[in-house]
Amino acid sequence: MEQDNHRSYQPGSDDERLSRMFEAYRAVCPDPESSPNFMPQLWQKIEGRERVANVFGRIARNMVAAALALSMLLALAVSIERSRVAPLPSETYVEVLAEEHARRDLDYFEPVRIEPAADQH
Amino acid sequence: MLVDFELIKRARKGDGAAFNELVLAYRKRILGTIARLISHPEDVEDVGQEVFLRLYFSLDQLRSAEVFEPWLYRLTANAAYDYLRKRRRRMEARMSDLSEQQVVLADAMAGEKVDRDEGERKRIRDAVDSLLGAVSEDDRVLLTLKEVEGLSLKELEKIYHVKENALKVRLFRARQRVLKAFHAAERQAARAGSSR
Repeated sequence: MEQDNHRSYQPGSDDERLSRMFEAYRAVCPDPESSPNFMPQLWQKIEGRERVANVFGRIARNMVAAALALSMLLALAVSIERSRVAPLPSETYVEVLAEEHARRDLDYFEPVRIEPAADQH
Repeated sequence: MLVDFELIKRARKGDGAAFNELVLAYRKRILGTIARLISHPEDVEDVGQEVFLRLYFSLDQLRSAEVFEPWLYRLTANAAYDYLRKRRRRMEARMSDLSEQQVVLADAMAGEKVDRDEGERKRIRDAVDSLLGAVSEDDRVLLTLKEVEGLSLKELEKIYHVKENALKVRLFRARQRVLKAFHAAERQAARAGSSR
């Protein structure tokens, strides 16, 4: 079927017929006149879309302002919390460890008192 | 160019009156192109307004006033393409098939010449509509701009942002597909003619 189609196909003449058909189409479809409402409707659509864009813009601006305010509040809260925490010790870590160690060593070297047994002999 | 560059520059800066003048200057031509691209007269104004709406909101992206016309044609082709795609989806939803289109074309091609003027015009319109309806929206828009609107390859190059050779290939393939539909319709017309 497809081969028959190709066999009967005459490139030159069919191409020309198609071109003539397109030309005729252009001739029978002239540029239409627009209705008197064309411009008012167009401006209505433009204003409508601008209104929507403005609403979204306002929402976006408000969200940015809210995020900014929230981050400032958080920063304030963190700084207050920091000021409340007790100041860090002035000793170094090694010094603290040494002190702790010394205390523990004392525990080990405490003399062991041996009580004489009362019931010997 | 139907308007001077100064007017386009003023419209780009947000001058409403300049934009109004721009629309008035191009309205008829754009509506004509849309009418031939979509071939549904009842929707031509809607699509036309969509083109100018897109133009209004994209004018600030226009690189220079010199490329205004290809820019406008690009917007027109895109709006027509979107419309045709939506319409095809609606048609598919309504279970419309190609054979129905081919019957219309066959009738249009084999039909007797009832009325010399309107009948003939309608026959040509129906025949070309059916042929273009048998190919993709891409092919339809490209072929209409080239064959019906008479745009040159240079102009199409600016609209599509595609090299001339690539455009030639696309045009050739689109034309082949239309010719295939043309042959199918002719066969159907011959069959309809012999059965009468």
